[in-house]
Amino acid sequence: MAEKQLESTVAAAAFQKQWFGDLRRRVFDERRPYALIQADVPFELFDLLEIPAVSNQWWSSLVAAKRQAPAFLAAMEADGISDQLCRYCSLGLATTRYSKAGTAPWGGLPAPRMLCARLTCDCVHRVFSLWAEAFGAELFEIQHPAASELPPRWWELTRHRWRELIEPHRLEFVTTTLERLIARLESIGERRLDRDALRERLARVNRQEEIFDATRQLIATAPATPVRMTEQIANVMATQWVRGTDWAIAHAQHFHDEVRARVDAGVAACDGEKLRLMWVGAGLWHDTDFYTAFEDSHGAVFVWSMYLAFGPDAYIRYGLEDPLAALASRTASFNEFLHNPPWAAEWIAAQARAHRIDAALVLHPKSMKPSATGRIFIEQALEEAGVAVLRVEADVVDSRAWDPAAARKAVASFLDERVPQ
Amino acid sequence: MRASTIEELRAAFQEPFWRLGRDAARDRETVLMSWPSVPVELVRAAGLQPVFARGHSTPTPAADRVLEPNIFPNRLRQLVEAALTARLANVAAIVLPRSSDPDYKCFLYLRELARRGIAATLPPVLLFDLLHSDDPGARAYNADRARDLSARLAGLGGRPPLADDLRSAIVSADRARAAARRLHKLRSGPSRVSGADALPLLGAFWQLEPERYSALANASADTLVQRVPLERRRVVVAGVPVDGTAMHAAIEAEGAVVVAELSPFGSGGTSADIGIAGDPFAAIAAHYGRESIDARLPVNTLMHKLDDLLGAAEAVVISQPHDDASFGWDYPRVRELLARRSIPHTVLGGDPAFGATAADLESIRRLLGNTPSRPELRCG
Repeated sequence: MAEKQLESTVAAAAFQKQWFGDLRRRVFDERRPYALIQADVPFELFDLLEIPAVSNQWWSSLVAAKRQAPAFLAAMEADGISDQLCRYCSLGLATTRYSKAGTAPWGGLPAPRMLCARLTCDCVHRVFSLWAEAFGAELFEIQHPAASELPPRWWELTRHRWRELIEPHRLEFVTTTLERLIARLESIGERRLDRDALRERLARVNRQEEIFDATRQLIATAPATPVRMTEQIANVMATQWVRGTDWAIAHAQHFHDEVRARVDAGVAACDGEKLRLMWVGAGLWHDTDFYTAFEDSHGAVFVWSMYLAFGPDAYIRYGLEDPLAALASRTASFNEFLHNPPWAAEWIAAQARAHRIDAALVLHPKSMKPSATGRIFIEQALEEAGVAVLRVEADVVDSRAWDPAAARKAVASFLDERVPQ
Repeated sequence: MRASTIEELRAAFQEPFWRLGRDAARDRETVLMSWPSVPVELVRAAGLQPVFARGHSTPTPAADRVLEPNIFPNRLRQLVEAALTARLANVAAIVLPRSSDPDYKCFLYLRELARRGIAATLPPVLLFDLLHSDDPGARAYNADRARDLSARLAGLGGRPPLADDLRSAIVSADRARAAARRLHKLRSGPSRVSGADALPLLGAFWQLEPERYSALANASADTLVQRVPLERRRVVVAGVPVDGTAMHAAIEAEGAVVVAELSPFGSGGTSADIGIAGDPFAAIAAHYGRESIDARLPVNTLMHKLDDLLGAAEAVVISQPHDDASFGWDYPRVRELLARRSIPHTVLGGDPAFGATAADLESIRRLLGNTPSRPELRCG
């Protein structure tokens, strides 16, 4: 694994391990409730009601990074669940349903009081139903009304004009659903949600994402990228799961300041940067070394992934007179920005231009079918922006069909033959 | 059954989608849909005729250039192929339900293809966003979406949306549903009709004018009841809902009879009436939210529907093609249900639009070879 260049990256990893250890102690020793939730569920509500929430996608990425995914996924297949079904959302289920098949990281997930999922992809209801059944826990589902009007350049509307971005009937429905979720969480947490505290929390989330926006700008405009993509992800995601908390804002600032210092000192993540790469899609959690594999051979550095850039563009909401409506406006279309045409293609192409990207590796995830859509439009938009494109077929958590050497060889050939040096 | 009756019902099931693009005047009165989770009553109340895109082995080269592989079922590839080859230029509208991610993505893709000028001759492309939830908020949301679609379709048909038009359409459709149920009942007990013949007779409900469907279906039922029962092993088809007869034909070629299928085009399409008490938009939204068999139907509801179909089934064939992202998750529950009932099963991985693969055929043979034969019954 490549050495960590930033102190903040080490601190982020330590925080997450400590946070999870504290969670286990609270659950086992103090019998306090916690929730297991999808990444696009509003974590703020859980935190304000003192119900810690673990992200399913974070847990999956951790299991994959610890190289434990194959054992659990093999057990799931042996149970008759086809390998063509989504692995990213279901690896956590596999660690619970087939717990003896492998060794889950950090002692494994304790039984949650509640699971909560937004029903984006078709599989989510089914995966979470099985998971809730395996834990004997309740499941709260956030129905997903679909957008039929998708205004162009969504990221220019999210901050101030979010009521124009989300159709009124969808915004109203999601707001009502979040009211129901709050009522359920208040019952579990045995406390009332303070709406002023929610407004304050969302303002603090804005502050955190403004810091990330400044960091993104530093990375985009520096002569050479000052921080590797993998370290961007580690720092950003550690804070997003606890966004708006004191630690998250302080850590975002620490990360920014380190990046700022490196830019001011002319320090690059890779000496002799020649090519700037972007990764389109979820992270390749079982082989993160892939992202630094072309630095020495080609001077090719991964500059951009969605993880840092998405925060400022998707989370910030100004005009918090009705904080729940603002939160609902984020929830209503959250990950659709990343996949659906025309939203995904025009945003990613704009990001490529802003970051002076030479080449993009576009993930075609094998089992995550909805996430695999829109790729053709994204690739066309990138090529129209002058960015060379390579498709990468892989599963983000399942390493069994991934040949690291062959993948690196294919990328090297692409860089040699298709990307102007 | 008279040959003309069979042919008219079969044609009403098989042909409408493939006729699009041949008769501009007829197309202008047609709304193309991707799956019967869009209420056909709303279409008919607007003075328009519903047609559904269907899977088929016909190549889809234009669609294959814009749709990623292994994600979109064949019926959607056929729909996009028709869109890109100008066969839908005169159709009044295309309506896609939010019945699965691929259907929703297809809606977005068609809009994007039109915006980019790749599909230059598309009619209005509309979404029907149906939530499969029974809480009051979802019920109100669905009713509003039904009203909205009704208004849009009525606008296309050049008439105002009237609740009375919808009530009439519901009454007619419920009569047709009753006739379909008569037909389907002939498959219970010793079946009088093969599955490959029954599916088109039932599936014609969605596209044929309801009064005509009622007349033909009732006439068919009157004739079929006289038939000698088929003394074959009784199979139920589950998994991803089929929209054609290829899988039925493959199963029945091995000496079995398909007596039910978890599909809106077959056993699952007409099992309950809508009724017209109260707000017809709320009633129709509630009905389709409850009854539509699609990838977003809650698993408990789906399991109840499967349980209801099993009846005297002696074997179950589960379809799980590569584009499935949803139904495969039900497998542990389905397996448990079938084990409780001591019903053997097999899982097929081929695309039903192309018929059974060699591996699928082997699985069917193994299943039926291992299935004990039911004692023979002779009635009628």
